[in-house]
Amino acid sequence: MAALQEYKCPCCGGAIAFDSTIQKMKCPYCDTEFEVETLANYDEELRNEQADDMKWDMSAGNEWKDSETKGLRSYVCRSCGGEIACDENTAASSCPFCGNPVVMMEQFRGTLKPDYVIPFKLDKNDAKLALKKHYEGKRLLPKIFKEQNHINEVKGIYVPFWLFDAAADVNMRYKATKIRRWSDSRYDYTETSFYAVSRGGNLEFERVPVDGSVKMPDDLMESLEPFDFSEAVDFQTAYLAGFLADKYDVDAEKSEKRANDRIRKSTERAFDATVKGYSTVTKEAGSIQLQNGKVKYALFPVWILSTAWKGQNYLFAMNGQNGKMVGDLPLDKGAYRKWLFGLTGIIGAVFYIALYLIWII
Amino acid sequence: MKRKVFPVFFALLLSVISAFPVFAESNVSRLLDEPDLLSESEETDLESKLDEISERQKVDIVVAAVNSLDGMTAMEYADDFYDYNGYGFGAEKDGILFLISMGERDWYISTTGYGITAITDAGREYISEKFIDDLSAGEYAAAFTTFADLCDEFITQAKTGEPYDVDHMPQEPFDPFATLLVAVFAAFIISLIATGIMRSKLKSVHSQLVADSYVKEGSMKLTKEKDLFLYKKIDRREKPKNEDSKDSSSSGGSGGSKTHTSSSGTTHGGGGGKF
Repeated sequence: MAALQEYKCPCCGGAIAFDSTIQKMKCPYCDTEFEVETLANYDEELRNEQADDMKWDMSAGNEWKDSETKGLRSYVCRSCGGEIACDENTAASSCPFCGNPVVMMEQFRGTLKPDYVIPFKLDKNDAKLALKKHYEGKRLLPKIFKEQNHINEVKGIYVPFWLFDAAADVNMRYKATKIRRWSDSRYDYTETSFYAVSRGGNLEFERVPVDGSVKMPDDLMESLEPFDFSEAVDFQTAYLAGFLADKYDVDAEKSEKRANDRIRKSTERAFDATVKGYSTVTKEAGSIQLQNGKVKYALFPVWILSTAWKGQNYLFAMNGQNGKMVGDLPLDKGAYRKWLFGLTGIIGAVFYIALYLIWII
Repeated sequence: MKRKVFPVFFALLLSVISAFPVFAESNVSRLLDEPDLLSESEETDLESKLDEISERQKVDIVVAAVNSLDGMTAMEYADDFYDYNGYGFGAEKDGILFLISMGERDWYISTTGYGITAITDAGREYISEKFIDDLSAGEYAAAFTTFADLCDEFITQAKTGEPYDVDHMPQEPFDPFATLLVAVFAAFIISLIATGIMRSKLKSVHSQLVADSYVKEGSMKLTKEKDLFLYKKIDRREKPKNEDSKDSSSSGGSGGSKTHTSSSGTTHGGGGGKF
């Protein structure tokens, strides 16, 4: 059994959670609002508390086999005493019995403590509205999918991200040509001048994010970018109350490659763009040396919405900071065919008439 | 020297004339069907058509089908056939002859006088494209009728002072099927692109290729920027000859008709091929 943290309202003792609209802690029972800053100290106090040491009589049930408990953790809810079983990476959740938001403190101890967190700015309703808007203007989306709109689950999740700083040292060599044309009374001339172009320099990157959770599809998370890091604050567990959170399960070394790929590509493009005024440019050789700086660990706010349709799961994600909604939608093949052949018919008729008119003239 | 040539020439002329049946101008038939390619009714229809057009346009339109060219080239045979049968209106012997020989499977169009003006080389090319398929397929009546109708059309056009030529061809008849095919094909391609855009709207999950938005502002420094000139290469190409330069020999590309002189001294235009 591990340590668990709940935030209780100092006024009424009810479980309180972070409210994204007012950016404060708010008690749902007595409406008391509570500044997050003061929680920094409160956090410290709580951290000194010891985990409950309770003995359970396990004789009644069967022993869990090792393979069954692997990847699972159980916690005891401080409000109702219910057992909360969850994934080993879960860092914030809610009690399935009393619904109180809980934070698993041990997931943030030592090196696991995130450096930053970007608090949620948008709530569940914003996410649902955004999904509805996401369906709009898409003519090939099956109508039934739009109308039924069964959202199975809406979850506010703090997704672990690694943030990489890097400096790139660049040395590039290009072969370029300039072409000049002129003519006199008898001949056309083409003059091709060949150049050896070299570029060198450096470029720095700050906080390139890489999703550190196996559960979150990488492309889905990258589609949510960019997060505005100026709104990030130093990590406090209080922000997590009322949301789900995972700790990272892909470590920094493994994530670094993904960040470096993107940094390399960006650097290459930035330096390619400095070769100007030529007719043709071909890259001959180039080297990009990356010096990775500090790695930061941060939690970014993401609303995850999932829905199933015709036996397939559709996963949508919304940037909890700026409301950017992404997620692939199913294609209505019938509508696609109708549009394809309908448009062909209409445009074809217009063309036919146009060709006929041209012929008459 | 020249004086001696004339008697010889006339003697030759007379001997060749005797090789062909000689008709008086008024009753020379404009249709000769030696291999009997046409049925009786086709023959009368075609003949009256040729007569009608010829009389109206004052340009002889003649169709001749023979079994063999008797060792002559198609051009020689056609020219002589025209000349020695006395076809042609007026002093210039205005007329057009369409000759086919079954033995060699040659066809030849010989133009004379106003016929040279009306049927240019490009025009002949155009006409032959219209009848060649029928001719090859053995649809002789259809091929001859097409020829006669096109000659009529070309002469009418030439009388406006602007004969059909390279840059000025008769308008193709409106082909509803081909036009439909083109229109539908183009429309299908456009629709494919349009629906492709609609489809792409359904997909919003993409991996990011670059990290452009994370470049530290003002951190890009170019420490080396060298553009070294290596060498240059000059290609010189002669300009294409001007099309409208006045060339004394009228080449095929510039329109008009190439002409030659037949054994009888008459100037003919024309050309032919195999069917």
